[in-house]
Amino acid sequence: MTQTTEIYDRGYRAYTGPRGGMGTSMLSVFKASVQRALGLRRKFRFKIVPLATVFIAYVPALGFMTVAVLIPGEIAQEVVADYASYFGLVGIAVTLFTAFVAPELLSSDRRTGMFGLYMASPLQRPHYLLAKGGALLFCMSLVTMLPVFFLLIGYWAAGIGPEGFVTILGIAGRILATGLLLALMFTLIGMAGASLTKRTGFASAGIAMVLIASGVLSDTLANMDSLSESFALANILALPGDLAAVIFDETFERPFDIGRWQVVGAYVLVCTISAAITGWSYRRVEVTK
Amino acid sequence: MTEGSGIIDATGVTKSWGTTTVFSGLDVSVRSGVTGLLGSNGAGKTTLLGMVLGLHQPTSGHIQVLGENPSVAGPELRQRIGYSPEHHDLPQDMAAQDLVRHVAEVHGLPRRDATTRSSDALWLVGLGEERARPVGTMSTGQRQRVKLAQAIAHDPDLVLLDEPTDGLDPVQRDDMLELIRRIGTEYGIDIVLSSHLLEEVERIADNVVILAGGRTVAAGPIDELRAGGGGLTVDVTENVDAMVAELRRRGIEVAAERLRLRISSETLDSSELACAVRDAAVTTGTPIRRLTSVEQSLEDLFLENIGATS
Repeated sequence: MTQTTEIYDRGYRAYTGPRGGMGTSMLSVFKASVQRALGLRRKFRFKIVPLATVFIAYVPALGFMTVAVLIPGEIAQEVVADYASYFGLVGIAVTLFTAFVAPELLSSDRRTGMFGLYMASPLQRPHYLLAKGGALLFCMSLVTMLPVFFLLIGYWAAGIGPEGFVTILGIAGRILATGLLLALMFTLIGMAGASLTKRTGFASAGIAMVLIASGVLSDTLANMDSLSESFALANILALPGDLAAVIFDETFERPFDIGRWQVVGAYVLVCTISAAITGWSYRRVEVTK
Repeated sequence: MTEGSGIIDATGVTKSWGTTTVFSGLDVSVRSGVTGLLGSNGAGKTTLLGMVLGLHQPTSGHIQVLGENPSVAGPELRQRIGYSPEHHDLPQDMAAQDLVRHVAEVHGLPRRDATTRSSDALWLVGLGEERARPVGTMSTGQRQRVKLAQAIAHDPDLVLLDEPTDGLDPVQRDDMLELIRRIGTEYGIDIVLSSHLLEEVERIADNVVILAGGRTVAAGPIDELRAGGGGLTVDVTENVDAMVAELRRRGIEVAAERLRLRISSETLDSSELACAVRDAAVTTGTPIRRLTSVEQSLEDLFLENIGATS
């Protein structure tokens, strides 16, 4: 005969251990948000967007690296994308990621009441937004920056990349700067869109529509003879390529007469407007209901 | 407890949302123990909880919670407070334990301690076996328990519960009330329970605060409040008419029914009323067989105070 042991009451014990400050709270939100954004510990359907994004962002890089390895150096250099143009290619993946993941991190917190629970904790609105924004920026950087770093390593290994430690360091620095700046811009755009509604579907559709509409409208206006070609700067989808061209000191791939400082100005404007929308929205969000 | 030493002390608090005035000079002192916060819909219960958490600033007046000003020491104070909101929406695909642990971590607990305590808290609320289940697959009763678990996992000094029995069937409600009472009495955590259900507050609360018309219309230990306004029942063996006349001469309202007198007063509390009865009995030489206080139900108290305000 075997004896079984049952726990009837685990009791309640007072907690006398250490308590972290604001940093601990923010780190916890950051980690949980990264996990959520990447679909970790979640059902398969939540992993589809991260996987699709990885596919769109990384597969062309692998393709170019394969070409660089298999085809002789001079021909390969004609075929493969350079670093600045790859940032333009990554734009599609980033758009997808922004439209679907930012609302998942922000809008869903308001829909499920988690925002109220966060605000009833030591966190305050700016800390919450910083933690969420940090998580989004981190995930976004995986899409904007890492594929181009792979490209750099691949080209270098295939013998068509930069030569010399200083040159490699210089290019790596430009990749880092471009990747971070683009990740920051799309993070702010995503947060702005997601801050306007608690419905994730509406937010995703809204963000995608704004990004696509900015491309269609701005290019249409810039192509009109009577209007300035500077309207092309309002194309948010083309900004990654333009900004990368500025940072890598290359010519713009788009056939419009736009200046380098104008591109920087457009970038700053998009970031500022997005941050302002997020701040304005979150000042108005009701907490205790 | 002296004034100003409660777990929540509000003095002359006003609060307006645009043109709507929620509080117009709220004075309240919430004592230690389980306190029921009562008021009709729109009376400002949730707004008061928001002010206690430091999420809303009073338009004027002062509020102190656990000896701190929530407007100034909000984050530090909220680390010592647990909050269970009114709504039932929680992240659907998150396991109960992950949710409770995350909230404990956000309140400053290291991950290892947060994991242990979240498990303990879920056992305590009766969800030990269900802790790995996603919240979205749980019943309303279970979600209410998850909300309670996340409110206590970080070992707060004060727990604010907003309508914790909303959506529960009678059996679940009994269980939940029993649990709240246990947390408030055995574990030394002060609880403020916002509800519009008088019966449940009456069952588990030590103290009550009734809000109406932007003010506190009654506050204090439930026993005192119920005894205070209810008056006394006096059973005499003879001499009814003389006794009635003497009591009325003293300004006390009397209703006689054979040898039983029901007496009340708007100005005297129950002990002063008892002294008046004693003096009247001595004056008229009336033998008293029994003297009992008449307790009001919380519902009577609530309706009386709400009525007085409107």
